[in-house]
Amino acid sequence: MTASVSQRGGSRALVLLLPLCFLLLAWASCAAAQGSDMLLAKGRAAMDQGDLAGAEALFLQVPAPGAGGDDGQYVFSRMQVARIRHAQADLDGAEAAAREVLAVYPDNAEAQNFIAAVERERLPAWRRYLQDTARFLPSLLHGSLMTLVLVLFTMAVSPFGGLLIALGRICPVKALSGACWFVIWLFRGTPLLLQLFFIYYGLPALGVTFKPLTAAFLGLGLNYSAYLAEIIRGAIQSIEHGQTEAAKALGMTPWQTMRRVIIPQTYKRLVPPVGNEFIALIKDTALVSTIAMVELMRTADQIFNAYFNVTVLVLAAVVYLCFTTVFTFVFERVEHRLGVYERR
Amino acid sequence: MTGPIIELTDIVKRFGEHLAVDHVSLSLQKGEKVVIVGPSGSGKSTLLRTMNFLEVIDGGLIRFEGREAGYVERGGRRVPDRQKRICALRSEIGMVFQQFNLFPHMTVLGNVMEGPLTVLGRPRAEAEETARAMLRRVGLEDKSGAYPVTLSGGQKQRVAIARALAMSPKIMLFDEPTSALDPELVGEVFDTIRQLARDGMTMVIVTHNMGFAREVADTVIFMENGRFLAQGAPREFFASGVENPRIRSFIEKML
Repeated sequence: MTASVSQRGGSRALVLLLPLCFLLLAWASCAAAQGSDMLLAKGRAAMDQGDLAGAEALFLQVPAPGAGGDDGQYVFSRMQVARIRHAQADLDGAEAAAREVLAVYPDNAEAQNFIAAVERERLPAWRRYLQDTARFLPSLLHGSLMTLVLVLFTMAVSPFGGLLIALGRICPVKALSGACWFVIWLFRGTPLLLQLFFIYYGLPALGVTFKPLTAAFLGLGLNYSAYLAEIIRGAIQSIEHGQTEAAKALGMTPWQTMRRVIIPQTYKRLVPPVGNEFIALIKDTALVSTIAMVELMRTADQIFNAYFNVTVLVLAAVVYLCFTTVFTFVFERVEHRLGVYERR
Repeated sequence: MTGPIIELTDIVKRFGEHLAVDHVSLSLQKGEKVVIVGPSGSGKSTLLRTMNFLEVIDGGLIRFEGREAGYVERGGRRVPDRQKRICALRSEIGMVFQQFNLFPHMTVLGNVMEGPLTVLGRPRAEAEETARAMLRRVGLEDKSGAYPVTLSGGQKQRVAIARALAMSPKIMLFDEPTSALDPELVGEVFDTIRQLARDGMTMVIVTHNMGFAREVADTVIFMENGRFLAQGAPREFFASGVENPRIRSFIEKML
């Protein structure tokens, strides 16, 4: 009887002890986690107050995982330490902190990238720039292909658009010249950026949707046609009236006069101002980066945002300069060529 | 004898209030040479320019080879004829300007070819052949590849004459063809026109050069304030017996 009672008493104690053990375990792990959280929070507060040394000490107290530590918190704490030391120009200390992470998690990308960045910083400046150039230039050149496409397209199309609008402006038919005046007024009087936005983001609301490239072609083509129209009109009207009279006296129609006598004489006069516009065009193509077009500017912007690396901006500037230099040279040659009949 | 090539009747041309040509009549038979002289602003050039419709007249009638030309009746008013018909008329009337007005972007040959090529639609080879013949006529065949900018004033004007001749015009209009030339270059241009006169070309020449007028004209006309003050054969015109003192003083000044 007693034995049975004592047996029952033992099992009762066991029933009582088991939950107690669980509670104890839960409390312990909870306390450890709470400790890490507290440390991180305190560390952040210290950083906010500018106490970097204090923050570093707090972050270093976060235990490694396994000994009651949690992996996310551990990685975060050590990387914070690495950044604090990096900010204080302690490259070796920063690398040591990142390596602590790698000791536990050899594949951690954040720590790997950080160490690679620190190693790059140990290089002399010129080697760093050279390395950046080698790293970013291919992407930039790839982006500049799209810039070149945009430039060449607009250069090919806008002179014809401009000529049409210019002839319309000169035309004695009031409705036509009024319409052409309106087009020039509209496209010269509003920012190209706004025109691109309207075509790409605005027109879909009216039921017309364009691909980014089509929208860019449309915006640049119309804008530059309007600009060139006024230049072309000026050039046409600058040709001496005697030329028109001589053509008329031969029996030419107004259109023959335009095509054979007046327009060919404008070419040379057009090259300097049109060349000027085209140089502006090369730089204006950067605006289409805002309507989801990936070209030189957009590529540079993306790289800059990913790496916070100023070299990429300098490189983009150099590529733009190469473009403008080459085109300036080409325009000078063309002007020289076209002026052949003016040399004595 | 056939009828006149061109016949102007009662021509009126106004510039605003100013009466540039005041009821003037003139007709030219084939081969006839008329020289119009007179002070600046007398309406000579304006009258000449009405003959190929570069100026639109405000009154009067123009007949070309016997047919009314250049204007049609529309809504009770006389208005310029259709562009196409005016162009066709102009292609039969050659004109030489004071300032030459050569096309600077074309070579000498290109200038002379341009009319036959573009206006008459001749094949290139034929146009070139015509052009070379005309350049030979004015003595400038060796300049065919040159651009106008490289020529002297006299050479430019001779190219301009060749350009007009290439259209085989029925009449040639000269608007002060030597006024923009240095004195030593006047001779070569007059030689060329003289040559044309010998070939029987019908011509109206506006000039200040009295010597040339006396030499080449069948009829000399003195124009002032938009009217013909006197006209006649050079012998009578220049005879000391010109009764009008205004004309006499002008002639004396010009000679």
